[in-house]
Amino acid sequence: MTNDGPGQSAIDNRHSSLVWRLRHYANAVWAENVKEWKLELTYPLDFLRSLIDPVVYLLPYVLYGIALVGGRFSPNLQRLVGTTDIVSFITIGYVFIGFLNMALWAMGFSLRKEQMYGTLEAVFAAPVPRWIFTMGMSMHSILHQFLMIVVQLIFILAVFSLKVNPLGLLPALAMIGLMLVALYGIGMIMASTTLLFKQGWLISEALGSLLMVVTPIAYPLAVLPVFMQKAALAVPTTYGILTARHFLMGEQMGFSVGTAFLRVAVLCVVWVVFGLAVFAVIDRYTRRSGTLSHY
Amino acid sequence: MSLAATAFVIRAEMVKTIRIYFSYPVIVVFWAIFPVLWVFPFLFQGRALVGSGNSAAFQHLTGSGNYMAFILIGAMVSNFVFSGLWGVGNSLREETYWGTMEYIIASPTHPLVVLIGKTLAEASVTTCIVALQATIISLLPFGIAFTVAKVLPVLLLVVMLMVGFYGFAIAFAGFTLLIKEVHGWVHTLEWVFFLFSPIRYPVQVNIITEFVSKLIPLTWALVAIRGIIMLNQRDVGLWNIVGVLLGMDVVLLVGGYFTFVALERKTRRDGTVGMH
Repeated sequence: MTNDGPGQSAIDNRHSSLVWRLRHYANAVWAENVKEWKLELTYPLDFLRSLIDPVVYLLPYVLYGIALVGGRFSPNLQRLVGTTDIVSFITIGYVFIGFLNMALWAMGFSLRKEQMYGTLEAVFAAPVPRWIFTMGMSMHSILHQFLMIVVQLIFILAVFSLKVNPLGLLPALAMIGLMLVALYGIGMIMASTTLLFKQGWLISEALGSLLMVVTPIAYPLAVLPVFMQKAALAVPTTYGILTARHFLMGEQMGFSVGTAFLRVAVLCVVWVVFGLAVFAVIDRYTRRSGTLSHY
Repeated sequence: MSLAATAFVIRAEMVKTIRIYFSYPVIVVFWAIFPVLWVFPFLFQGRALVGSGNSAAFQHLTGSGNYMAFILIGAMVSNFVFSGLWGVGNSLREETYWGTMEYIIASPTHPLVVLIGKTLAEASVTTCIVALQATIISLLPFGIAFTVAKVLPVLLLVVMLMVGFYGFAIAFAGFTLLIKEVHGWVHTLEWVFFLFSPIRYPVQVNIITEFVSKLIPLTWALVAIRGIIMLNQRDVGLWNIVGVLLGMDVVLLVGGYFTFVALERKTRRDGTVGMH
């Protein structure tokens, strides 16, 4: 049976308009974000723990640095990157681990979580592309991440008094925004690997460990072996950390700010296109092979 | 149940756990390689902040400026602790996922006996992995050398450390019966150990961490183990530390046993054993 009346044609036109579709997608992203917050706040103790965790994670790095140099300032760091304050250096670097975890764990495990809840099939049957679903998940994760960073910074400011240039905040946030787009691409790849391997924690853990080594969180790129320095240049967080520290505390990056923004823009295109392509291939494969609901 | 029957159950559980472990060889490879890889950021951080492999400030705190050896020994010993936390503490939760928890509870064996089997299997696998790591690390230029005279007291300390820690892990397994999803809590606990025991940095650098660290057996064991391996100290007060660890072992084992029994009874009475 067909319905070719004038009303149907108007609806078809409306549905095919780009603005309508974007609004439809935005609604779906927001709904997914709200759903995740509701789920998270159902376990208030766990939510509280997730806010305190980043402080507990950060402190061993800071205290280790202080034990190494016998104080807060390192002459060797000054020689390498032009800044001496190791507490500010490590804290700003460490903030970015949260964003990396967002891509590797929060987005990567979004589909696996739905599978555990028994709702994956319902999500996949929804009238929106599947990447919209992971985007909603990443939106929740980004907001959560900013909340954690705020707690982390309040603690560090109260205990160590962070020394940063407030004028550098806006350009640093601009770089973080760009970096998040590229991380979304990596998150899409991780999400698709869980469709394929189901228990994908090993891949997230392994990739996360490798990225933690090459990303200059608590050290500058210069101390890494050359092959690791080259690998680090393909990771969006490298530019995020170096540029943020450059704006906030004057770290010398070894390349200009313009080059950093340009390279992250290229990484955004590369990682997002690659991420969406990998996701589409694996999604099609799992549905054809009938393994979507397998555990 | 007779002693022979209990021993049979422990052996059967050990065999089962090891079989499951080796069904996923990639996971074994992961645990052999990655804990050492996690140490690299700290080695690079040391190189960036100090400029060499030796730190005078570190020497002032620990007696040795070789921060690389400090970190690597911390990583190896903490492997035992963390594999115990994940392998034993989380083991009953895994049985729930596999759908076999009800069979264990319904069998004529006490779940604690099953847990002992899991503990011994976990300890055997971790010992093999750490022995492999220690062999590789001693061949690399990190300034760590193992001799029989060093290895024997270190083994004694590790055994003393783990006996108490498995008591804690058994209590934690009971906790998983109660609150079910403990993945996040295990991570937090892991990082509490990183913060309050000298796994990655000398806790003496801060008065609060120094104070809290004394309540954790891992601190006592690590100080003695590093003294033996890095400082060639024959007299690190070994017997005093063994005495302290023995006292902690008794407290943790007795406390762990009673906690587990109480929590297991509570979940049975509440009828929540099979819940997810």
